[in-house]
Amino acid sequence: MSTASILKLVISAVAAVAFFIAKNYIKHKPDDSIEPKKKKKLNRLFFFGLVLSVWYFIACVINEISGGPNGIHVEFDLFSNRVSLFGFSVSQTTVTTWCIVAVITLLSLIFRLFVFPKFKDIPKGIQNVVEIMVEAADNFTSSQTHNLSPVLGEYIFSLALMIVGCAAVELFSVRPPTSDLIFTFSLGLVTFILINYFGIKKKGFGGRIKALASPNPIIMPMKILSDIAVPVSLACRLFGNMLGGMIVMDLLKTSLGGYAVGMTSLAGLYFNLFHPLIQAYIFIVLTLTFINEATE
Amino acid sequence: MNAIAAALALLPALGAGLGMGLATAKAVEATARQPEASGKINAILLLGLALAESTAIYGFVIALILQSKV
Repeated sequence: MSTASILKLVISAVAAVAFFIAKNYIKHKPDDSIEPKKKKKLNRLFFFGLVLSVWYFIACVINEISGGPNGIHVEFDLFSNRVSLFGFSVSQTTVTTWCIVAVITLLSLIFRLFVFPKFKDIPKGIQNVVEIMVEAADNFTSSQTHNLSPVLGEYIFSLALMIVGCAAVELFSVRPPTSDLIFTFSLGLVTFILINYFGIKKKGFGGRIKALASPNPIIMPMKILSDIAVPVSLACRLFGNMLGGMIVMDLLKTSLGGYAVGMTSLAGLYFNLFHPLIQAYIFIVLTLTFINEATE
Repeated sequence: MNAIAAALALLPALGAGLGMGLATAKAVEATARQPEASGKINAILLLGLALAESTAIYGFVIALILQSKV
């Protein structure tokens, strides 16, 4: 530890204590000796100073431990690392996804066993929230696909839950599974299978071929190609967006070092919460649009 | 050489930015004309933005693939 870092720590600690004492002093001062407006202003000022000095103290401690900010070098691999689990070499994406699935399953089990039996005819409290969410997913799906299948709503709901859950994992500084091309491509592949399943179920195999060959059999290769491009484009869109968000967050973390305490949570509101929600919405809308197109 | 190729692969961002700007301008215009239809316009706008954005995202992914050691 150098003298400068010790000095920084001591100064920030002293400032924090001084601000705390000053804030308490102002708070307990009798009202007649000071104007209420000025008191409020001073109180706010000292609180701000306290937060700032505590933040600086924590940042200095973290910098001391981890070695401080190290430039704007971000190291990342396009594909996630392999980890060894019980002698098998599995991708880290798989492990993270298992954890997310376990958490979601546990939550839904808790809901099923402890919350659902308490539901009444007149909704109250958490029942309202659950009913609104399920109804919104169902209504949205049936309006987009014209009441094609009742199962589709459940799939859409779990898809949204999965994509948002995957992004929320990044808050614990784990690499999100959605920033792995293989994971997003498998989601796109499910969409591809659903498109063809519902297309063939609704129109029959001949009808599906006929839809591909309309208006002219010459353009059939083009149509097949554009059908195959659907999962690829869905996968690349989700992957690129999530990887971009992850790189920005990593850049913030590495370039700010210890000073990133609290900063990344502000940026994380956008990159880990709002952005994944929009991407999940887009993924769902595109899936439903393609399914609707195949069945019309 | 890889870096130049990666930079060139990000050229689609130009077109995507232009397209998204145009789409948003039209959506603002439409909402100003018919404020009661803003919900529907919003949904359509988001879908269009996603489709326009995807070209930029493809370029970004290709640039990443060129830059990283696969």
